[in-house]
Amino acid sequence: MHAAVPVSSLSLSAPVFEPAIAAAVCRHCGDACLDRPVVTEAGTFCCAGCESVFGLIAEHGLSAFYTCDINPGVSQRAASTRDPQRFAAFDDPAVAARFMVSRGDRAEVTLPVPAMHCASCLWLLEQLWRFHPGILRSEASLLRRTVSVEFRPEAISLRQLAEQLAALGYEPVVDQEPPGRTPLARRHLYLRIGFAGFAFGNVMLFSIPRYVNGAPLDPEFQTLFGWLNIAFSLPVLGFSAWPYFTSAWSALRARAITLDVPIALGLAVLFGRSLVEVVTRTGEGFFDSFAGLVFFLLIGKLFQQKAFDALSFDRTMKSFLPLSVRAGRGDDLRVTPIHELRPGDEMVLRPGEVVPADAVLVDASGAVDFAFVTGEQDPVNIERGSYIQAGGRVAGRAIRLTVARAVSTSRLAELWSHPVFSTPKPHWLTGLLTAFGRWFTFSAIALAALGAALWWPDGRKAAEVATAVLIIACPCAFTLAAPITLGTAMGVLGRAGFFLKNPETALDLSRVDELVFDKTGTLTLGAATAAVRHDEFTDEEWRWVRRLAAESVHPVSRAIAGAETPAGTVSDVDEIPGIGIEGLVDGHRVRLGKPATPASSAAELTAWATIDGGEPRLIRVEPADRPGIGDVVASLAKERAVQLLSGDRDASAASWRRLFGDRMQFNQAPEDKLATIRATQQTGRRVAMIGDGLNDAAALAAADVGIAVSDDTACLVPACDAVIRGDRLTRLPAFLDYAVRGRRVIVLCFTVSLIYNALGLGLALAGRLTPLATAILMPISSLTIVGLSAGLMRTRIGRVLA
Amino acid sequence: MSVIVLLIVAGGVVAAAFLAAFVWAVRTGQFDDTVTPPIRILLEDPHPKDAVND
Repeated sequence: MHAAVPVSSLSLSAPVFEPAIAAAVCRHCGDACLDRPVVTEAGTFCCAGCESVFGLIAEHGLSAFYTCDINPGVSQRAASTRDPQRFAAFDDPAVAARFMVSRGDRAEVTLPVPAMHCASCLWLLEQLWRFHPGILRSEASLLRRTVSVEFRPEAISLRQLAEQLAALGYEPVVDQEPPGRTPLARRHLYLRIGFAGFAFGNVMLFSIPRYVNGAPLDPEFQTLFGWLNIAFSLPVLGFSAWPYFTSAWSALRARAITLDVPIALGLAVLFGRSLVEVVTRTGEGFFDSFAGLVFFLLIGKLFQQKAFDALSFDRTMKSFLPLSVRAGRGDDLRVTPIHELRPGDEMVLRPGEVVPADAVLVDASGAVDFAFVTGEQDPVNIERGSYIQAGGRVAGRAIRLTVARAVSTSRLAELWSHPVFSTPKPHWLTGLLTAFGRWFTFSAIALAALGAALWWPDGRKAAEVATAVLIIACPCAFTLAAPITLGTAMGVLGRAGFFLKNPETALDLSRVDELVFDKTGTLTLGAATAAVRHDEFTDEEWRWVRRLAAESVHPVSRAIAGAETPAGTVSDVDEIPGIGIEGLVDGHRVRLGKPATPASSAAELTAWATIDGGEPRLIRVEPADRPGIGDVVASLAKERAVQLLSGDRDASAASWRRLFGDRMQFNQAPEDKLATIRATQQTGRRVAMIGDGLNDAAALAAADVGIAVSDDTACLVPACDAVIRGDRLTRLPAFLDYAVRGRRVIVLCFTVSLIYNALGLGLALAGRLTPLATAILMPISSLTIVGLSAGLMRTRIGRVLA
Repeated sequence: MSVIVLLIVAGGVVAAAFLAAFVWAVRTGQFDDTVTPPIRILLEDPHPKDAVND
């Protein structure tokens, strides 16, 4: 079973992912079963986590889950590494009460479940009542990836509910604060569109007779229709289009000109001139164009608002800390929310828990890893009196600590208060549109003045021409192009497993010319998926070695032990940090240790094991590089610069040199990474940082585009501009090409709408811009832009989605 | 003329009714999630024979 499973080859240039045998496919998640598959009567599973979820679903007669959608299951490989006590905070009534809404003997809770992704997930999550009689009803939202559950708290506690969801493979992500309500802005936008569309349709009814007639209607009809049009258009002016006026006004007050200024100007002139024409009975006005214009503009806004649907990207430091810990004075330990921790309090932290505040060790010894803070996964041994910084994660066994500083004054909190986190990132699009808006406004006003001068001294005609210029110059098509192109791109990329924070990020991405990679967790996978090779142990001996390794917290030992602890009794364990571990397994003396000389290949870690004093035998651990990552970096390096910034030691530097050359730095603290990003930007480059840990958070925030890699959907990622699924990292070149296509489509749309505008301006200056011409020209230009931007971003996307 | 006025009033009332229905739909949250309900309607309950409720 455990004999050599050849996984990734070591050479980075060679195809890295080459399973020697045709791997079976996991019955639950559909992933290839590579390493230590679990085989049962029901089928083959990639890990025990998947097998148990499958069993749970089958036991409740819900196997239809697997037929609703293709590969609905989410791999549970990371599940075994989670802290079984992670929902303990919900045992505290005060914490639970913040998340629940109680109604009599019932309560409702809404939990984010990022693993939800398809129709099958939706179906299963709405059948939750079958799993526990205390669950009354559940409703899931695929859009927000949340599930709302109504339950009876005396029958099932919030903690049990969260654990039930986790057992089904839908790990709820619990943040310090419960998720907020649906933003009302979205509903307002729908109402605005509704009123504009309503007015557009009705105004059209009263405008078309005039167009069809070819000549002015009977005066009484013309007057009646004119006033009806005013009545229908007033809500459009005062409600639907109002945000454009307030936005333009605040821009002008700040002595700036945004793209909303010419829009507001165009809309105001359009409405004003139409009003004057109707009141003075000199014409029928442009109310149809006015309502239609606002309608189209708002449709464009709807694309922009897609950002609200996305997962929450704004993480604070506290998102990474536990909700509460067991703490108190003396022996009176109880579940305490972390913001109530005071210096001098004692707390007991279990393995896997994150130290929430700077603290001092009370126990004689312990082990903590600072993977979150520095990226270094190797646990550090600590002794009584050691000062442990917040963000460390307890390894090995539970430890008792004394709080030294409150949560808000820890070093981690200081890093988080760095201005890089509070300064909003300027989007290139925002700057572009502002520059464009200024140019556009001045050109429109200049052209209007020119038109008026041309027709002077005919004052009436001059005013007509000037207003016509301002009307036709309204940059409606321009405002549609960017949101629709980028909004569509954001949707397509989201389907491909690359989630953008907002549409503007797609454009920033297209301009990136330097990519900076973190190593651990980004280019390589965690120890849980490292490939272990040995060739001289029998299955039973190998089980002893694994059983002993499970006692250690060292990453190499963890890799050897695998995800599940093998059977066997262990006693007499002695671990000497930096040397190895020794113990009795099922009565056999097993020693597992480091080789005396460093491994020949730096990308490979080796260990030696002896059983009952026999010859030492070799075990090789290959910290698995992400499959295909070498090819990806090589192909990215063709068009863009690449750089490696790693928080850990340079043990594997040699193997990365061929990809990154000298542009590699190791032992980088979060501040160093931030400084390097800044320095790179100083040289005029636009940088994308690709990282995964809290130690990358500052660099992600400083980079032009910060991309967080997430292998485990339930795992928190740092604040960033985009989240990429770990297994989709290999498609980054295609994603970048697609972003570049988005930029080209926008340029094309701008060109096309400039042509339309030139056409309209010609008519306007010639004094021939009739309401009918406007009513035809404006929608056509808007629809062309909608068609071009949405259409071009949806065709030939096979390489993005593949 | 009077016929037209009658038609306009009748048409306006119908249109206003639809607008009111739209406003009601937005305010009761029917546009908050436009992804899930169209999928949910296609899903069936598990067959009673298979389902176990404990």
